[in-house]
Amino acid sequence: PKPSRFSNRLTVQAQFQSMENQNDLLLRQKFMEFPYVSPTRRELMVDLMSTLEDRLHSQLLPCTLPPDVRNFKNPNGSAEASLHIRSGEQSSPIDFVIGSWIHVKIPTGVSLNITSISAFLNSSTEAPNFVVELIQSSPTSLVLILDLPHRKDLVRHPDYLQTFYQDTALDTHRQSLLKLPEIKPYDSPSLFVRSAFSPTASMLKIDAEEGERLEEILRDHVSPAAKQVLEVWLERCAKEEGEKRVVGEEEKLELERRDKSFRRKSIEEDLDLQFPRMFGDEVSSRVIHAIKEAFGVI
Amino acid sequence: MAMIFCNTPLYSSSPFLSPLPSIRSKPSRFSKRVLTVQAQFQSMDQNDLLLRQKFMEFPYVSPSRRELMADLMSTLEDRLHSQLLPCSLPTDVRNFKNPNGSAEASLHIRSGEKSSPIDFVIGSWIHVKIPTGVSLNITSISAFLNSSTEAPNFVVELIQSSPTSLVLILDLPHRKDLVRHPDYLQTYYQDTALDSHRQSLLKLPEIKPYVSPSLFVRSAFSPTASMLKIDADEGERLEEILREHVSPTAKQVLEVWLERCAKEEEGEERVVGEEEKFLLERRDKSFRKKSIEEDLDLQFPRMFGDEVSSRVIHAIKEAFGVL
Repeated sequence: PKPSRFSNRLTVQAQFQSMENQNDLLLRQKFMEFPYVSPTRRELMVDLMSTLEDRLHSQLLPCTLPPDVRNFKNPNGSAEASLHIRSGEQSSPIDFVIGSWIHVKIPTGVSLNITSISAFLNSSTEAPNFVVELIQSSPTSLVLILDLPHRKDLVRHPDYLQTFYQDTALDTHRQSLLKLPEIKPYDSPSLFVRSAFSPTASMLKIDAEEGERLEEILRDHVSPAAKQVLEVWLERCAKEEGEKRVVGEEEKLELERRDKSFRRKSIEEDLDLQFPRMFGDEVSSRVIHAIKEAFGVI
Repeated sequence: MAMIFCNTPLYSSSPFLSPLPSIRSKPSRFSKRVLTVQAQFQSMDQNDLLLRQKFMEFPYVSPSRRELMADLMSTLEDRLHSQLLPCSLPTDVRNFKNPNGSAEASLHIRSGEKSSPIDFVIGSWIHVKIPTGVSLNITSISAFLNSSTEAPNFVVELIQSSPTSLVLILDLPHRKDLVRHPDYLQTYYQDTALDSHRQSLLKLPEIKPYVSPSLFVRSAFSPTASMLKIDADEGERLEEILREHVSPTAKQVLEVWLERCAKEEEGEERVVGEEEKFLLERRDKSFRKKSIEEDLDLQFPRMFGDEVSSRVIHAIKEAFGVL
């Protein structure tokens, strides 16, 4: 790609100058392409990822995943995926940021496309994480997950609930989206997933009459909501030490244990079962190993 | 006074349940079966018996709803009978009104025996006449376990302000963080197939999910909780739904609780260590404090006036161990 492909992303490119080689840049581009999905969906994901990287840029190290984990396919060509993980600097409250897209051709002819961005904080802070995920297997419907998942037991710590969820009016985003006739709540079949997401989580199913309407909903409703939620996270959760209270030793330990439990169980539920089926054993174990390493649960 | 409230057959089927004004009755009003029951209660105050009856009347609500609540309470008391102490609330807390007559309520709390995993069982009904002419009726039963066990609690609550719609809450609320303890989730929620009850109820066109405006309530209930709004076309249909769908479901969920959660140490249950006990106690206290704060502190004074309200809330805090 010539620099002319990047319009206002030249600023971004300057930030990436310290990246070792052209390959790195190419692999990041491949990730940021978000292929196989509609223009509106692609734009949403790219916007969110760019905002995240831009706002946190001095806190994030470059992606160090091996090339065959940053982009991989099933040997038989039925599935392709891209992974982008950037760890936080030592002094940062960011543990790491992870973006991914997965494209699977199901035998029936349908395609499954999953695009996700998550940001995980470390035990120097108790603040919630961030997650946005879109799961689509038809041009007219998709599942949206948008949340700041809590990192402490909300019954045991009602003040945490107050600070991060009530004072931020996070529930209004969920409520606005639900006003649309095409949108209704989505109940994950996994009880663990239900437990892990916050009481203000947007776990929604969007069913439109036709593709155009779905695009419109993504553009006019989902996109602003997702950006607002990300903004709450950047402002209230991801900010470095200053206004926030210091996390004591025992609390750090508690946070670490809970974070580990969440990450282990998520990988178990999301990947251990699905990945080998999608990508075959060899690719799968290589990728899952890299993810476990980044997640600190190897 | 180890009395035994073993009177299930009476309360579940007797016409005794209808809100007859003259319940302060003469022995001749009691049929033969009731006399047996009365014999069991001989060393108990007549007043105690009357107050329990007043609670079990569940007045102001439909027959199906009354039957459901009385059934559940009777089953609970029957199955746990040797573990429950008699209700020791003062008379003016077991039944109370707003001085201006706009609201009435009844409270029934029985603590668990020292060796029991039951902390206490609490039943209540509240009837409030809202200025617009509408009545609000809330009927609830909850069972709380103590820190000798980590098992979930039990709760069923029906909130109704119209003849054709009501909110149902039916759950075994968890007492441990489910993300931190996925095995707890497995044991009590997956292995018990608790979610199937919620799913069956949601199959009815009249039933849809109810999202509490309180974030705390959303956090406190389990991922398998039935938090549902039932909207029927007419009262008869609501009755039918209560009788044929809600009632069997509620009984099944109570059964899971009695079998898997409330059973006393039998060897099969793992012993709760000191540190874990401490954590359970802290979490339980936090839940109870916050619940009283959200449910009662704001609402009760409005419903019953300051004087009645503070007397009752004090008694509840005492029973809940959060005074």
